[in-house]
Amino acid sequence: MSGIANRTVGGPSGEWRFPTAFGWRGVLVAIVAFLILFRTGADVEIGRALLQSGKGIAAGAGLAEDSQVARGFGAILGRMFPPQLAEVTETGRIAGFDRDRLPWFAHVEMQTVTVQSLDPETMRMVASTTQREVLVEPFGYLRQVVAKLVETLEIALWGTLLAVLIGAPLAFFGARNLSPHPLLVALSRGMVSLLRAIPELISALFFVLAYGFGPAAGVLALALHAAGFLGKFYAEDIENADPGPQEALRAIGANRLKLLRYAILPQVLPQYVAYTLYILDRNVRMATVIGLVGAGGIGLELKGRYDLYQYAHVGTILIAIFILVFALDQLSSWFRRRLI
Amino acid sequence: MSLRFEHVGKRYPDGTIALGDVSFEVPPGQFCVILGRSGAGKSTLLRCVNGLASPSSGRVVVDGVEVTPATLRQLRPRIGMIHQSFNLVPRASVAANVIAGALPAVSTGRALLGLFPRALRDKACALIADVGLGQEHLPRRVAALSGGQQQRVGIARAFMLDPAYVLADEPVASLDPQTSADILTLIRREAKERGAAVLCSLHQIDLTMRFADRVLALRDGRIVFDGAPDALAQSRLGRIYDASWPEPCPLPEAVGA
Repeated sequence: MSGIANRTVGGPSGEWRFPTAFGWRGVLVAIVAFLILFRTGADVEIGRALLQSGKGIAAGAGLAEDSQVARGFGAILGRMFPPQLAEVTETGRIAGFDRDRLPWFAHVEMQTVTVQSLDPETMRMVASTTQREVLVEPFGYLRQVVAKLVETLEIALWGTLLAVLIGAPLAFFGARNLSPHPLLVALSRGMVSLLRAIPELISALFFVLAYGFGPAAGVLALALHAAGFLGKFYAEDIENADPGPQEALRAIGANRLKLLRYAILPQVLPQYVAYTLYILDRNVRMATVIGLVGAGGIGLELKGRYDLYQYAHVGTILIAIFILVFALDQLSSWFRRRLI
Repeated sequence: MSLRFEHVGKRYPDGTIALGDVSFEVPPGQFCVILGRSGAGKSTLLRCVNGLASPSSGRVVVDGVEVTPATLRQLRPRIGMIHQSFNLVPRASVAANVIAGALPAVSTGRALLGLFPRALRDKACALIADVGLGQEHLPRRVAALSGGQQQRVGIARAFMLDPAYVLADEPVASLDPQTSADILTLIRREAKERGAAVLCSLHQIDLTMRFADRVLALRDGRIVFDGAPDALAQSRLGRIYDASWPEPCPLPEAVGA
């Protein structure tokens, strides 16, 4: 009997067994997980995605000759660069064009344009060159994009504001510790799930049909989905709030709304601000997307230019969106740091 | 005008009997200490007064009105409460925590907007000064205060509506002996100034002897002693605290308030 052997016998009577890190159940779960991943991976062509990405990276690094992915990205990026900043308009098409009062930084120049036309006599295509006068605004298109971006931001802001206004009462009635009746809890929770179940892009489609093209449809689509999100998370925080202060105020006879305002809200406020800022952030991104279906904002512009193969314009839009989202991210994290 | 327990019993759904047939009466202005070990039923007894718990049998009568769900709205603003774990909002300021004690006195609309009448704001300031905090504490978050200071805030909150009764549930359980004595002195002083009766649960015998006008000792949900602290002899303490005592003796009839 060595000392080591003695020590391996565990427990007061040698019958204790220290729990192992994983047992046969862990192994079983791992096998099932592997089978699921294997099957689903085949369905979503994960192998092809990895293979082509690898080839693309190899081509980018100069290791491989050719790659479909690298070619595709190269073609798009090549056409996006340089981004379109200027706006060129034929002066004849500008209503009430005044030569003496040009917009800022703008100038008029003559452009030679080659036009292909069908000669009715010979039935052949003939190239003819014409001179036409155009107004060149060096940052005209950028200005348009910024204006659309501002509209996008406004849609996101109002979508968030309405979401808070709809989500807060849903949270109040949906929180078990505050709701006046269990039926109202079930009702609000159902409502919240329903709102969250409908993606913005889908509801935007319907709102565009009902309210017509424009930002109003976008605002409503964003507000409803976000209200579902906020209603759920606000309610969970109300339920998880420290019950001590609530009991103290209930003991002296404060009603539910006073409890919410004085015992719960001060506790959960930092969380609420964080959720709301996240929703604002998300709404800005979603506001660019729902423009695709005609609900206002930069998305409409993006889709229009994309469909016209004007990739330089698309490039400008994408860069502008990136800068906006990045700036907003910085702003919201600064705000959160200040508040907490 | 008094606080009366009439054959109050409390059995929880899991079968534990927290109180069994408790009867007593507290006259106005009395500082009454409920003494007992953990689990003796002290908290349950206090919570039956303001309806945080409801008796399974018997009834509690406050100033001639029985405590029922229907009368709570009327009774609760007259019963202040001081809690073992303070039950303050740590993120909120001292001022906000204290004035929350006056919530039943203002309309919901005003409360939501935080518009408390001048008189209440002045009163909150006066109380904060009374409990020994300074003007510089007003905007400070409660989380930044020490335990003793936090309980001072709790006391100020409890007296905001000039309650006729104050329930103090182990108000010094988490405080050091010196701070505990200070806090109990404060509760006693504030209550005596207003003629408020105090029901204070404690498990410290020395503090009980120092501060109580009257001691109600509980063991296993039953009153085993009811009388002046001087009469709390060693043998009776055994009955309260010593688990080896076979059965807590029924209350001798001779002993009374």
